[in-house]
Amino acid sequence: MQASRARLFKEYKEVQREKAADPDIQLVCDDSNIFKWTALIKGPSETPYEGGVFQLVFAIPEQYPLLPPQVRFLTKIFHPNVHFKSGEICLDILKNAWSPAWTLQSVCRAIIALMAHPEPDSPLNCDSGNLLRSGDIRGYRSMARMYTRLAAMPKKG
Amino acid sequence: MDSDEDMHDANGSESLEDDFYSEDMGMESDDEDADYDFGNEETNDDAEDITFHRQQNYTILSESDIHQRQEDDISRLSTVLSISRFAACILLRHYKWSVSMVHEEWFADEHDVRQVVGLLENPVEIPNVRELTCGICFETYPRNIMSAAACGHPFCGACWRGYIGTSVSDGPGCLMLRCPDPSCGAAIGQDMVNKLATEEDKKKYARYLLRSYIEDNRKTKWCPAPGCEFAVDFVFGSGSNDVCCKCSYSFCWHCTEETHRPVDCGTVAKWILKNSAESENMNWILANSKPCPKCKRPIEKNQGCMHMTCTPPCKFEFCWLCLGAWSEHGERTGGFYACNRYEVAKQEGLYDESERRREMAKNSLERYTHYYERWATNQSSRQKALADLHSMQTEKLEKLSEKQSQPGSQLKFIIEAWSQIVECRRVLKWTYAYGYYLPEHEHAKRQFFEYLQGEAESGLERLHQCAEKELQIYLEADSPMKEFSDFRTKLAGLTSVTRNYFENLVRALETGLKDVDSTNSQAACSQSSNSKSVCGKGSKSGKNKAARSGGPSRSLDDHWSCDRCTFFNPGSATTCQMCEHHLPT
Repeated sequence: MQASRARLFKEYKEVQREKAADPDIQLVCDDSNIFKWTALIKGPSETPYEGGVFQLVFAIPEQYPLLPPQVRFLTKIFHPNVHFKSGEICLDILKNAWSPAWTLQSVCRAIIALMAHPEPDSPLNCDSGNLLRSGDIRGYRSMARMYTRLAAMPKKG
Repeated sequence: MDSDEDMHDANGSESLEDDFYSEDMGMESDDEDADYDFGNEETNDDAEDITFHRQQNYTILSESDIHQRQEDDISRLSTVLSISRFAACILLRHYKWSVSMVHEEWFADEHDVRQVVGLLENPVEIPNVRELTCGICFETYPRNIMSAAACGHPFCGACWRGYIGTSVSDGPGCLMLRCPDPSCGAAIGQDMVNKLATEEDKKKYARYLLRSYIEDNRKTKWCPAPGCEFAVDFVFGSGSNDVCCKCSYSFCWHCTEETHRPVDCGTVAKWILKNSAESENMNWILANSKPCPKCKRPIEKNQGCMHMTCTPPCKFEFCWLCLGAWSEHGERTGGFYACNRYEVAKQEGLYDESERRREMAKNSLERYTHYYERWATNQSSRQKALADLHSMQTEKLEKLSEKQSQPGSQLKFIIEAWSQIVECRRVLKWTYAYGYYLPEHEHAKRQFFEYLQGEAESGLERLHQCAEKELQIYLEADSPMKEFSDFRTKLAGLTSVTRNYFENLVRALETGLKDVDSTNSQAACSQSSNSKSVCGKGSKSGKNKAARSGGPSRSLDDHWSCDRCTFFNPGSATTCQMCEHHLPT
C-alpha cells in the first residue's frame, strides 16, 4: 500500500513536470484519491478516431505496480478490442504481459497504439471484429468514424 | 500362460460342471472334508511371473528420489554445456526436462535457444555509478543494494521481493519468470529467487520446480491417490498400463483412474461419466437397504458376501443381488450362478411380480441400473474387504494365532486370501462396466461372457464365504481345533484357484472375447472347470464319478461338451448352442 502510494506519487510528479512532453495524453489524478486516475487521449491521426478525444478511467490496485491498473474507456468507442457497453479493454499488457516497469503514461501510449492497430482476432466487440475480419475496412471505418463524431467530438453549434 | 497344461487338466474334468455347482452353491458345506487338487502349481508360478514382469516397467519415486534425479540431470547438463547449474535448470524446464531434447536444440543453434529461453550470451553488469534508479518504484538507491539479472537492469530489493512474490503466488508460471523490464527477456533463475525472495516464496518456488520435474515430463506422473506423495516413472511400450504405487493404490498409467483391467480406458471414462450423470437417479434407486424378500423388513448389507440370512425369527436365506431364495441358487437353476443375468426368461415364475418387472424391463435406465447396481455392490464389497483385510492384519490374525496355537507366520494364507478377494472384487466390478457396453446383438459373446462372469462370481463367493464365515468358527473356538489344517488347505486352494481363474478371465476379456477359439478364452474356460475339480468335494455323487470315468468330450450318452466353451449340448446339435463352435468330426 505504502509502496504503491509512493510509486503513484512519483508518477504524479513526473506527469506534472512533463506536461508538455506528450500532447496526446493528459493524465489527471483524482483530487481525493491517488488510486483513481482519469486520462484524456487524442485519437491517432489517419485513423477513424482522429479528431476525437477519449476519456479513460484507471482503477489502481493496492499491489500496483506489481499488478496492472484496471483501465476502461468512459467515452463510447467502436473498436474490436474495446467492449462496446462497458469500455473494457483487451490488451495483453493489462493482463498477463504486465510488467511493473510500465507506468500509467506508458499504458496510455499502448492504448493509443492499439487504437491505430486493432487486433480483430481477439475481439471484445464482435461486430467490429467481424467487419475487419471479413475485410470490410470501409464498413469498419465508417462505423468507428460515426461513433467518434457522436461521442468523442465537441457538439457543433 | 501355458494353456496346454490347463487344457489337459480341463479335459479330465470338464464334464463335471453341473454337479459341481449344485453342490457348491448351497454354501452349507462347511462340514465336508475338502479334497483339493494342487496339480496346477505351474500355473501359479506363471501368475507370479506375470506380476513380476508388470512391476518392471515402472519405478516408484519418493520425493528425495525425484530431487536426486533432478539434481543429477541438472549437474550433467551443466557439465556438458559448461553453463551454470541455474541456466541448465532453466533450459531443462523449458524443454520439459528432456536432456536429449536440450542437447539436440542447443547444438543445432545455441544462439536461437539462448534467445528463446532468455539466457544472455554476454552478461551485462549493473552500470558502475554510485546511485541508480529502481525501474519499479522509481526511487534512487546506492548501487550496492540494487540487483539485476544477466541483463543488468537494476531494481531494488523490495521491488524484486514483490515482483517474485506476485509471480510465485500466481502459480507455476513463476518458473518462467523474466526480467521486469518489458523490453528485456532475460530469464530469472532459482539463483535470483534464492537471493531475493522471502523464505516462503523460496520454498514455494522450489516446490513448483520439483512438481514441474514430474508434471512436465512425459515419462512421470504423480500417484493420483489423495495425499500420496509418490511419483511414478513409467517405461513405455512394455505391456500393462497398471501401476501399483507404494501407497498401495493401483491406477492405470494411461488414464490415471483406478486400475480397471479388463476394461479399456475409453469404456471406463464413459462409465464414470454415465455414473456421475445418473448418480442422483441411482442414489434414489439404490437406497442402501433392501427389504427382506420374505418378511419385508429393511436389511442393510454389512458383510461382504451375497449370501444373506435375515435375522430371527425370519431367518430367510436369500441372494442379495436377485433377492431370490438362496436355495434356488443350487441345483434347481441348473448349476448356474444366475445372478449376473439380466435376462429373466430362465427364472420366470421364480421371482415375485415387482422383481420380474424390473428384470424384464427393456428400457435403458433399468438395464443400466442392473449393471450399475452390481458394479457398485462389488465396489462396496471391495471396500469392506479392504477394511476386513486391514482388521485381519492388525488384530484378528493375532487372536487366531492364540486360539488355534498357530504361529503367525503360518497364517499368511489368510492374508493372501483376503488380498485376492480385494483384487477379485475389483476385476468383477469392472466386468459389469464391460458387460454394459458389450453389444446386445452379439448374442453368443454375451452368453459366453455372462457364463464366464457367473463362474467368476461364484468362485469368488466361495472364497469370500470361506475366508469370512468359515474362519469365524476358528476365531470363536475355545480350544485349538484339529480341522484347522483342513481349513488351511481349503482356503489356500481356493485362493490359488480363484487367482488363476481371474487372471484368465481378465486376459480373455482384454482380447475382447474376439475369437472364442483362442487359447486365452479356452484357458479361461478350462480354468473354470479346473476350479470345479479343485473345489468339488471329492466325488460324492455317482453321476460325478460316472462323468469322470467317462472322459472328455462325449461323456454322457446323448450329450457332448463343447471343447471351446465347455457348454453341455444335446447330442442332436452339430454346433455349440452357446458359442456356435462346430462339433469337431
